[in-house]
Amino acid sequence: MTLVDDHGPDMDRDDILAAEYVVGVLPAEERWTASARIERDAAFARIVDGWEVYFAPLGSGYAPVEAPAAAKAAIDNRLFASSTASPARDSASSAGLWSSLAFWRGLATAAVAALAIYAGSTLLRQPIQEAAAQPLFASLAAEGSDVRFLAAYHPSTGEVGLSKISGQPGADRVYELWLVEGQNAPVSMGVIPPGPATRLAVSASNRAKIAAGAVLAISVEPPGGSPTGKATGPVVAAGDLKNI
Amino acid sequence: MKDRAAFDLLYRQTSAKLFGVCLRVLNDRSEAEEALQEVFVKIWTKADRFAVSDLSPISWLVAIARNHSIDRIRARKLPSTELDAAMEVADERPSPEAMAVAGGENERIYTCLEELDKDRAAAVRGAYLDGESYAELASRHSVPLNTMRTWLRRSLMKLKECLER
Repeated sequence: MTLVDDHGPDMDRDDILAAEYVVGVLPAEERWTASARIERDAAFARIVDGWEVYFAPLGSGYAPVEAPAAAKAAIDNRLFASSTASPARDSASSAGLWSSLAFWRGLATAAVAALAIYAGSTLLRQPIQEAAAQPLFASLAAEGSDVRFLAAYHPSTGEVGLSKISGQPGADRVYELWLVEGQNAPVSMGVIPPGPATRLAVSASNRAKIAAGAVLAISVEPPGGSPTGKATGPVVAAGDLKNI
Repeated sequence: MKDRAAFDLLYRQTSAKLFGVCLRVLNDRSEAEEALQEVFVKIWTKADRFAVSDLSPISWLVAIARNHSIDRIRARKLPSTELDAAMEVADERPSPEAMAVAGGENERIYTCLEELDKDRAAAVRGAYLDGESYAELASRHSVPLNTMRTWLRRSLMKLKECLER
């Protein structure tokens, strides 16, 4: 294949190559060469990123298709199967994303949409308040447990909205929500009412403890909640509150 | 544990979109599933790269899925057989215009694509969404390969001029 040098003065060779890479038309060998350059040439990578930004809106043309159920298990197996060695290193190198405020803020639209779908839109009905009263979000999950909740704490109303994605407490058992602040013992936030989307009023003393970084946890308890004031059943899901 | 929960949340929120990307480009369910797995492994291990991109989070994820799927399809169709394969693909794909309009977006790229000749805009969109190579485009538009390349490069230059306007 001959290269046609018909680019004008406004676009140099790298710019054209970057555009061709992003649009995806390059034949195999030229594509590998371009990929390799992106890895080692930061200036070229930036040009490519610029074209990705230009074309990104076209991505809305991709219709979502539910992924095969086995896919997630296979991914987990590849990433987390051996609890030693490489996964730890990988997770260290990925800290940039997982702790990136910008990333989670950017995904907030998707998160809000997901919450609204799961919660039948009751969870986020009140408009998002000024910066001082930003809601905090937590995804509650735990290894070896199928219990998943999304939680949204609204400082403006002093309520925590809970949206159940999966999990059943079992016969004659309830889920109880706990707040873990720093090294302190978990304090109960109350029994989670049954149903896909519920709200719990947060007591004044607990409101004072809630902040980004505090952990919400869910345990399985007898009806009416823990009789002792401490979690008596297994903790089936937990997650920290993020300011996204 | 914290990262893991975040990853799970991310998967729940984005796997359908990314699987849609892989499936559209690869047009084969089992290959798309393999690609999806590789894409999420990449996302986990290369997450730090996001910090240097100007893309929004979801667009960054779509770009990874798209580029990975295109890498796969290029590897599948070696250059020598690329054109033959393209002949067989012919013209049965749905109109890319319909997809773009369905998105209901009014980003600049749409306006700028409209400034191109209709068939050239279609070639750019088709290449982007379906991951078509120069060879496939040439076959679909019934023009020689180099003509296709010239066309597309000129279209990209026009696009750039419009996008920066």
